[in-house]
Amino acid sequence: MNALAVALTVVLTVPQMSGCATPDHKPRHLPDLVDAAIASTASTAPRDEPSSLVVKPADLGRSTDPVISTPAAESPIPKAPPTVALPPVPPSPSPTLPHSPPSLARPATKAVAPLAVPARSAPPLDLKSLEARLKATPGIGLFTKLALKNQIDDLLAQFRAHYSGQRTSTLAELRQAYDRLLLKVLALLQDSDPPLARAIASSRESIWDILSNPARFAAV
Amino acid sequence: MTHRRTAKPCLIWLAALLAAPCALADDPGLLKDLSAVMALLGAPCGKVVEATRQRENDHLVTCQDGHRYRIFINEQGRVIAQPR
Repeated sequence: MNALAVALTVVLTVPQMSGCATPDHKPRHLPDLVDAAIASTASTAPRDEPSSLVVKPADLGRSTDPVISTPAAESPIPKAPPTVALPPVPPSPSPTLPHSPPSLARPATKAVAPLAVPARSAPPLDLKSLEARLKATPGIGLFTKLALKNQIDDLLAQFRAHYSGQRTSTLAELRQAYDRLLLKVLALLQDSDPPLARAIASSRESIWDILSNPARFAAV
Repeated sequence: MTHRRTAKPCLIWLAALLAAPCALADDPGLLKDLSAVMALLGAPCGKVVEATRQRENDHLVTCQDGHRYRIFINEQGRVIAQPR
């Protein structure tokens, strides 16, 4: 629509400037005529046009008007080198890479190290610490704790009987009973207290070493 | 005044009678605990779905499969599941 305004101004001003205007028409200045033409086009244009009018001058500048198009055409050209300078932007990530990788690498090393160290250096549970942790865990209720204590006491009584020479059960049978009880404990704790369940599972053989050694068992 | 004096204790008794069994039966922690006891003792039950407190540390439970047990702590401090 702005092209129409420009065309109207040209059509109206050329006859006036060349003296072809009618005598009853007063000579008008060019800015006034341009304003009038724009006002007329604006009054006839729909309301959506202003937004398109804002956009279109650039298009007009490129296509028709060389005076307007040069700034419009020049502006992309200087902008093009910055866009060409975008390749320097990828280098900018590379300078940031030395910054970011340390920040990424530190958590990674931190994440690996704490996981690895406790797994290796976590001391296996002995019977007393196992008893204390089972008493303290909120993962199982009072009845369950008491029933568990009953069964642990029963197993310890079987070991005592075994070492006292009664030989009511062999060591292999005691091992089976121990494994069964441990599985029950793990089943109880694996959802409600996973850390304790893992600690017990990892201490399985060390606890058995205590139980299966008469000297160490006597010291319990 | 006499109405108020008699009505108030009646209401309290009624509330206690109605609320106590419901609270025990709906306690998920207790049901879970009793279910774990049944599993630990190896009694056929599955899951305890209802528990009625008879005395302290003495419950009458109904299992998912329909079995009923009395779970209590005896004088020796052992947890017992007695079929009913």
